[in-house]
Amino acid sequence: MAMKSYEWMVGYTPQTEWIERRGILIWLAEVSNGIGGGLYLVSLYFNSLLGMLLSWLIIILLKGGFHFAYLGKPMRFWRMALKPRTSWLARGFIFLTLFILLGAIQLILSYWLPGTALEFAFKVIAGLIIFLVVINTGFVMNYINAIPFWNSAILPILFLSSGVLDGLGLILTIGLFKGNIDMMAAEAGTRVLLMINALFITIYLWGATYMGPTGKRSVIEIIKGGIAPILWVGVILCGIIIPFAISISSYFIVEASVPLLIMAVACEMAGAVSLKYLILKAALYSPLIPTPP
Amino acid sequence: MVRWGMLIDLKRCIGCYSCMIACKQDHFLPPNIFWNRVLISETGEYPQVINHVYPVLCNHCKEAVCVKVCPSEATLQRKDGIVHIDYDKCVGCRYCVIACPYQQRTFYSGGDKGYFPGQGLTELELIGKKLYPLQPGTVVKCNFCEEKIDEGICKGLKPGVDREATPACVNNCPTKARYFGDLDDTKSKLSVLIRQRKGFQLRPEFGTDPSVYYID
Repeated sequence: MAMKSYEWMVGYTPQTEWIERRGILIWLAEVSNGIGGGLYLVSLYFNSLLGMLLSWLIIILLKGGFHFAYLGKPMRFWRMALKPRTSWLARGFIFLTLFILLGAIQLILSYWLPGTALEFAFKVIAGLIIFLVVINTGFVMNYINAIPFWNSAILPILFLSSGVLDGLGLILTIGLFKGNIDMMAAEAGTRVLLMINALFITIYLWGATYMGPTGKRSVIEIIKGGIAPILWVGVILCGIIIPFAISISSYFIVEASVPLLIMAVACEMAGAVSLKYLILKAALYSPLIPTPP
Repeated sequence: MVRWGMLIDLKRCIGCYSCMIACKQDHFLPPNIFWNRVLISETGEYPQVINHVYPVLCNHCKEAVCVKVCPSEATLQRKDGIVHIDYDKCVGCRYCVIACPYQQRTFYSGGDKGYFPGQGLTELELIGKKLYPLQPGTVVKCNFCEEKIDEGICKGLKPGVDREATPACVNNCPTKARYFGDLDDTKSKLSVLIRQRKGFQLRPEFGTDPSVYYID
């Protein structure tokens, strides 16, 4: 979507702060958010300590790290907790901080005192907090009326389902190498969530066409504009079709081979990465002044 | 209570960009940072073409989204309606830049090499960096020349009437297309013109209630 300088806010103007130049860090942070958060939720279900540890590290090092690196004044990061009353970013920072602390305590308890009531309580609390961390991105974005494409109630749910799908993919990978994971349950969950995710993406894009001409323009850019290959190859082919085909084939063959499963997981990850990129890249601002149709 | 606002007469505006340059000069803004801009578009088909010329700037909205979304309380709304950024509190998250429906906020990354790259900063640019220092890594925007307004009020001057207390863009407009005054004063020239000439705001559907009005 190459734009001339005189077209700025005269035509549809793409959002650039959170996807271009240093904005790439925001994209990477959100990808890590989905993967880390989803893996934690799934690991809680399958009671995989390794999964929980990996997800905690992804959240603190990757998500936290990318967000920290993006800030213009990173040493003032603590100020981001000051306005949770109205700012979703402030709330997200608080949720993230709480998860880092409570997640660490939960991991320690799961290692030293597994099966105790205290461990269970911290698992519940950390699980609730990571749920808030994952959906918070959706609320940060859908609060912004200025970008009709993001102004959708389904965005937080889409980020959650996408994250849990990523988590299932990673837990399958952990199961392949470490065992101790109910692979059939994980694959069944993946099958269902792939369909749900595909449905949510369809509903989101279809709903965006009703968000005025700017929302519709964003969807057109995604479907047949310059970024369309990312949708068709990244999100649909890699993110949905290939993993679904492998998952369905494993339903009939009992269990897919290791290389096929790894390929399915890699494709799912590519799909998640592509989806977040598309949502950030296709965001457009409405023209400020009368323009030709 | 005072609520500072601006009115731009689109029938008088000739798109000369004086306001843009005056603002840049007054605040010693570095390259690629604009607090005032002029947007130009055309609608219609030859020979029935209409040229639209809109000077735009921070609208200092009454329901400013940037104030709500700022996580560090760096962006505040003063009692007189001016939306002010405390550069010492800004963390540079750029949520306000994303959230502004008018896109009138800019992230200043610093490291600018001045207007004459390869030749270092001129004396004027060096003076500007001392008089009007911007903090790299923070978000900047039009502030209605609040320092002029505040100083003018202290001296007993009237913003919008006395040049010393009036924003630079208003002072420098060659066609006197800009007016500045108190929106809450129903008898101010600003309020009277808005009523008489049916002043409108840009994109009122965003619900931000801008303090900048236009008449045509």
